[in-house]
Amino acid sequence: MRGLRRWLRYVAGVLILAGLVVAIAFPQAALNAIQLPLFAVFSTTRMVVAYLLSLVFAIAYGHTAATNKRAAVVLLPVLDVLQSIPILGFFPAALVFFVATFHGHPIGIELAVVFLIFTSMSWNMAFGVYESLTTIPQDLEAAAASFGLRGWLRFRHLAFPAAIPKLVYNSILSWTNGWFFLVASEIFTAGGTEFKRPGLGAFIAVAGRNGDAASIAIGIGVLAAVVLTLDIFLWRPLSAYSERFRMETVTGREIPRVPSPYERFRWLPRLPRLRQWTLARLQPVAARSHRMSLQFERAYSGHPKVIKEVRRIDLALFLIVFVLVVSTGLIGLAQMFLRPLPLSAALLPTAAFLSFSRLLLAYGIALAWTIPVAAFIGESERASRYLTPAFELFGSLPATALLPVIVGFALLVTASFGDAAQLAAVLIALFSMQWYLLFNLIAGVRSIPDDLKEAARSFGLRGRAYWRRLLLPAIAPSLLTGSITAWGAGWNALIVSEYTQYANRPFEVPGLGSLLNHAVFDPVPDSEMLLLTILTMIVVVLAMNKLLWRPLFRRASQRFRLEV
Amino acid sequence: MHALLEVKDVTKSYFENGKEFKVLDLVRFDLAERDFVCVVGPSGCGKSTLLRIIVGLDKPTSGAVLFEGEPIRADNPQVAMVFQSFALFPWLTVQQNVEIGLEAKGTPPEERHRIARKFIDAVGLTGFEDAFPRELSGGMKQRVGIARALAIEPLLLCMDEPFSSLDPLTAQNLRDEILQLWANPDLPPKAVLMVTHAIEEAVYLADRVIVLSSRPGRMIAELQIDLPRPRNRKEPEFYGWVDEIYSLIV
Repeated sequence: MRGLRRWLRYVAGVLILAGLVVAIAFPQAALNAIQLPLFAVFSTTRMVVAYLLSLVFAIAYGHTAATNKRAAVVLLPVLDVLQSIPILGFFPAALVFFVATFHGHPIGIELAVVFLIFTSMSWNMAFGVYESLTTIPQDLEAAAASFGLRGWLRFRHLAFPAAIPKLVYNSILSWTNGWFFLVASEIFTAGGTEFKRPGLGAFIAVAGRNGDAASIAIGIGVLAAVVLTLDIFLWRPLSAYSERFRMETVTGREIPRVPSPYERFRWLPRLPRLRQWTLARLQPVAARSHRMSLQFERAYSGHPKVIKEVRRIDLALFLIVFVLVVSTGLIGLAQMFLRPLPLSAALLPTAAFLSFSRLLLAYGIALAWTIPVAAFIGESERASRYLTPAFELFGSLPATALLPVIVGFALLVTASFGDAAQLAAVLIALFSMQWYLLFNLIAGVRSIPDDLKEAARSFGLRGRAYWRRLLLPAIAPSLLTGSITAWGAGWNALIVSEYTQYANRPFEVPGLGSLLNHAVFDPVPDSEMLLLTILTMIVVVLAMNKLLWRPLFRRASQRFRLEV
Repeated sequence: MHALLEVKDVTKSYFENGKEFKVLDLVRFDLAERDFVCVVGPSGCGKSTLLRIIVGLDKPTSGAVLFEGEPIRADNPQVAMVFQSFALFPWLTVQQNVEIGLEAKGTPPEERHRIARKFIDAVGLTGFEDAFPRELSGGMKQRVGIARALAIEPLLLCMDEPFSSLDPLTAQNLRDEILQLWANPDLPPKAVLMVTHAIEEAVYLADRVIVLSSRPGRMIAELQIDLPRPRNRKEPEFYGWVDEIYSLIV
């Protein structure tokens, strides 16, 4: 604990020093950077707004899916599809829609950015809520029912608290995801027009386009500082707090709990005076909210008829919206396919294959280094103490922000433009994918019960046999979870990885991502190609999920589950 | 004049692929005030299902459960339930857990507080009001479960294997405490219905034991245990009852 605090102090010291050096060495870049705190505030505000929207959406959607069987029939498959399609592909369409609606007013772009971040944050949170609500122990449900908890009171005392651990866990994931899309969306060109909102992402992107190394470094540094600060002062305390809402197992033997990296930060909210002061200030508010919730309960849940009506209206509204959206979508699709396909549609299969191969290469590289490293970190307390924070620091930086650095690096290594573009595309995919694998694998290694490890050792399992008989089977489920998430991120990264600008030069490789870019960026945007490319991507991603990952995951979780 | 609880020919079946699995078959008994009744039977005889039906959490396939002459409802505040797995809300303190039924009833906060304290004292948990369930031992958790059930001052207390997940010593202490609470006529409830697979426990606690057969659960016998209290497990009469029930089940 003390070691960690010292570690953090070192990092802060190094950062300040680096900042000073940069300011002296590159006065021009430092001058640019004066606006950065303001940009950071703008960017964070967008994230917070999108997050709050996602939170409300996730709770409403997950709760409805878990409690209303008829709605669940539609809600769950929809969520499943939305969760696995590459969202960034829709951004240009959303941008055009919002900008047109607000007649080019900046508020339209802001809304488009918030909308994009929202779509990247909400699905897994909604799934988290749904999962938590459907796995509440039967006895606890029965207790709530038999003690008369209904409607609002049931939500407040049972459903919401039960959802907190998964909601917080998924919020952290979503927040990281959000940065990725925020950085990608603050600056965008569609139909020959550039849309830009002041923010950290736009700053880094502009610096990259100009090849301004100092500004790139400063921008990424500030982004890292913002990401880390929020992580330390918001997410980690929240995560530690959410432990309280975890269900206990009644059976005598405790399931070995995975010590989350966040637990090490428990000392952070420990500021006794500040806590007392806040508690004293919050007391009247809490009391009032308590009274209001009781009044609300009496007005709303006191009458079963009211509940029934509310449910019915809820379902009806949802069905109306759903039917409208689906039917317009279907009509649009039908119209498109009735006309002859554009010539460039012939490029799609090759493009899909090339993109897939690039992702596969990146996935292979990621696997090759994350499995041994995860095994090392998971088994050694010391390694975990020093390496995990470092990896978390890197992992929390969105790959979109690292874009200029990666392209610059690729240029330096290959010294030729064509290869540099290929290398950069693979590296960007790698940076988008690898962290999901790494963190899932570490958790998987840690969840192996000590008994089992000791048994393996006492029977003399070592080296290859130890890996084959214990480690690999035990981490199979987390490997698959990590792989699914990693591939999802990889598909999302296509649109930024296959077409980038660095030092006023375009870097491009053939693939779905670059087709998408051309459909939007070209002076004459091709909405038909845009739709076709998105459709191809969706078909490939869904096919992979349904035919490869799902069956594998089901088998792995049956065969390799660590039951106690 | 109705009995407190009437279980009328309750039958429960589950259907799977069009096939019928009968769990309970024509179970029928009454519960009057000051009755302490135990339902015993082998594992899987549907006794927990029976209890869920009796408190209204589940619907019988045929038959009916009447409480004070009316069909039972799950949120009836006159019936309280104690669970094998304790079913405490892990995020609420002992005090808040005990208050939960009162809160649902709409009891004002000050009164709620007072009543909860009274029952926390009654089960011997004074000083643990602000503890969270995970900080308590199994026996203490079940005490919270009992206090929570008593706090709504029910007429009928239903217990589903309340002592099976406790170690033997704790379980015996808790049984004696339940009997002590039961002996005090000022405290609720008016009647207790408990489900258990432990025959000795049933003979130790109950005035009346209802014996169910293995699946589907049918009533084999209804026995009036007329041993004086406090009962001594070492006496031959006690063993006579245990042996009789045992031979009925096997």
